[in-house]
Amino acid sequence: MVLSRFWYALLGLLFGAALFLLHLASSMYNRAGMRARAEGLSSDAQVVSWYLRDDARQRSAQLIPFALEPDVAKYLQKSNDSDAKVPEDARGKLTQALNRVNAQIPKGLGFDSVFAVDQNGRVVAYLGYEQASGMEDFELGGYPVVADALHGYVRDDTLVLDRMYRVVARPVEYDLASMPAGAIVGARVIDDRFARELSQRTGAAVAFYANGQRAAAASPADFNTANLDAIVGDLTDLEQDKDYHDKGRSGVREIGGLIAVQYTRLPGEAWQLGAGYAVARQPAAVAGPLGFFSKADDKDKKQGNLPLSVLAAVLAAGLGILFTVFEHTRPLRVFKNEAAKFAAGSVEQLTPSHFRGIFRKIAADVNDGVDKQLAKGGGPRRGPADFKEVLGDIPDQPVMSAFSLPGDAVADAAGSGPLSVGGPSSAGSGARQLPTPPGSAPRRLPRPPGAAAAPASAPVTPAAPAVNLDATMPAGGLAEWGSGPPDETEWHDVYKEFVATKQQCGETVDGFTYEKFVERLRKNRDALVQRHGAKRVKFGVYVKDGKAALKANPIRE
Amino acid sequence: MKAPYGLRLPAMTRTAWVRVCGWAALLTVFVPASADAAKLRGRVDGFRNLLNPVWAEARDPKQHGYSFREPVPTVRAEFRRLFPLAPKEICVAALAAGPQKAPPPVLVRVGGGRTTPVTLVVPPGTRLTFQNTDPFKHRLHGVGIPTFQPADTVRGANREWLVPGAGVYEIRDELAPSLRMWVVAEPTVAGIAYPSMKGDFSLSVEQPGDYTLQAFFAGKKVGPAVPVTVKDADLDLTKTPLKVGDEKAAAAADKAEAEKAKADAESDDKGGEK
Repeated sequence: MVLSRFWYALLGLLFGAALFLLHLASSMYNRAGMRARAEGLSSDAQVVSWYLRDDARQRSAQLIPFALEPDVAKYLQKSNDSDAKVPEDARGKLTQALNRVNAQIPKGLGFDSVFAVDQNGRVVAYLGYEQASGMEDFELGGYPVVADALHGYVRDDTLVLDRMYRVVARPVEYDLASMPAGAIVGARVIDDRFARELSQRTGAAVAFYANGQRAAAASPADFNTANLDAIVGDLTDLEQDKDYHDKGRSGVREIGGLIAVQYTRLPGEAWQLGAGYAVARQPAAVAGPLGFFSKADDKDKKQGNLPLSVLAAVLAAGLGILFTVFEHTRPLRVFKNEAAKFAAGSVEQLTPSHFRGIFRKIAADVNDGVDKQLAKGGGPRRGPADFKEVLGDIPDQPVMSAFSLPGDAVADAAGSGPLSVGGPSSAGSGARQLPTPPGSAPRRLPRPPGAAAAPASAPVTPAAPAVNLDATMPAGGLAEWGSGPPDETEWHDVYKEFVATKQQCGETVDGFTYEKFVERLRKNRDALVQRHGAKRVKFGVYVKDGKAALKANPIRE
Repeated sequence: MKAPYGLRLPAMTRTAWVRVCGWAALLTVFVPASADAAKLRGRVDGFRNLLNPVWAEARDPKQHGYSFREPVPTVRAEFRRLFPLAPKEICVAALAAGPQKAPPPVLVRVGGGRTTPVTLVVPPGTRLTFQNTDPFKHRLHGVGIPTFQPADTVRGANREWLVPGAGVYEIRDELAPSLRMWVVAEPTVAGIAYPSMKGDFSLSVEQPGDYTLQAFFAGKKVGPAVPVTVKDADLDLTKTPLKVGDEKAAAAADKAEAEKAKADAESDDKGGEK
């Protein structure tokens, strides 16, 4: 008992500890995940920033061939000379020159649009910006990036026009003694293609936004790009982020548990317009201890060492079962067997020394209980038994009526009543030899209700002296009852008791001989033995409705 | 002459028509319409010593206007100064002795990251027509001007605004931070002109009399006011140019700017090393 209880307690402690550890682990995992995610997002944002700057620098270098193209400088200068209107031939020649140079730019380093701008800021020629087709007064000179280029600087910018553009510009020089003849401007549209290229090279999930809308987005294969749409709802609150407002980069923001995001403003005019990019990562948090199961992938599960876990579980379960077998099953089985023997009468009492623990106490208590009951003369019978259950269907004229003397209507009437078996003389209780408490006198069997007292106190006639039932008991007591001397001896006693009872009840016994009585008993016994498969039949006498009657007990043992 | 605003014409036709009529209105008002009109020829000097405030602000690294900005060595330093584009940004006005009546609507083109002109000097009550020449919309508004609230102006569309009274008004675009325009409402404006890239300008006044020539830049007066007396004949003032920018002050500003840029760069380097 101690072992299994200790084992239960140990298992409970282990379970509690495991639960606590899981909670602890999930909390630590979430905290570590949050820190790693924040670091990862900062890293992503920084990498994207570097990429944008490096990309702008590389593309600004691709503007050099345009600036060095003689026709570009020549026709920009020609346009400068005409204050009123850009000469048409300058437009044509410049367009050709731009096309010529643009065709030589390596793939992947080109522009979506290229503009040649004169000193007045007018766009003399352009490639890839069909929105401006037909607009003769199209110009770009007011933008700081173009103005800087016209004043001798090379730089980048991010413009939010009809779309968002990454722009680089550099001066075009015609006469080194004069201010630059114009500027060449290259622009890349920030669209999904741009974002995809950026994502492929940086490994970041990135979304560009402007005017409160997502402008472009792309992500690695293991990230659902549609989740990046969630930033739109977050942009309205973004300006409240102090870091974003002051430094241009927000803290890590979690959106609806779907993604964690960090926003960064784009350099250039886009900065003032609130345009920027967001890098995102999927949160790696677990909702609770069971969240590990849903988060774990195949690789994690391989690291889980399932065989060891199963082995531990089997060992723990086996150990627990072993303890219960030793402490519960085995003692219970021993007790059961002993109780069966006790019930079968093989032993007089339960032997406490055969048991251990609580079973020893139970056995002693049972013994004591039985002794006390026997000392009180036995308890009441546990329930009525129907003679019908024993003998089957009873005919209207019972067999017992045959014991009545011919012409004895009273006797017949007495035999015709329903007979019942009463008292403790049932097969089970009659076969058991009850234990005797040390020092106590031999016990007397309890009498059947209504029958025991009458024979004991009834007067016995000389011809058929009254027989005390106790006196008819076999010498060995109840243990010998039904299994001792032949039926003839027993029946003789029954005959005498029957005659005495009849006399006590005022019935006549004339002509009621023992031979006839025995013959009847034999017939009835044979019939009962055959019908119920009993070994023998024990007969008894009792009073029914003021008349003597016989009862039969088929005994199977 | 009334400008044809509100006519339902095809976009390009209407645009061209408005542009032509607008400039014609400017010339009609500020250039003498009668044979008595006198022409003043002059020159603006030192405008390359001025600094465009929008561009100057954008070059400040604290404005985060770029991720890199480097001078091209082959461009001489004097050209790297962010001086204004005189034909759009420097307005020379002839101020009469008394108030002048408002001219017909004046066309202001909005495109390319700025307005044309950038600085405009007109009498109060002048109606301005802002025309969007970009292939995308603008959202102009007057800074602190209740009568000029932000509103979209789509491609090719016009928006009108009446200059309410004397003063200086700044117009901005919510969608283009670099776009800033200044309207100087001066009751005595008799005529205005914009110099060429070389600084030459030609200004006409309708009536002979005493005038004051004053250059305006970014909503402010630049250079000294030059009094002139206009008679019947044209007047040549090229020998006494309007000096709008001081060379020494500009050089000092350049030097200070260079030192500041150097200090910022060193600060950034130290920050990067840390």
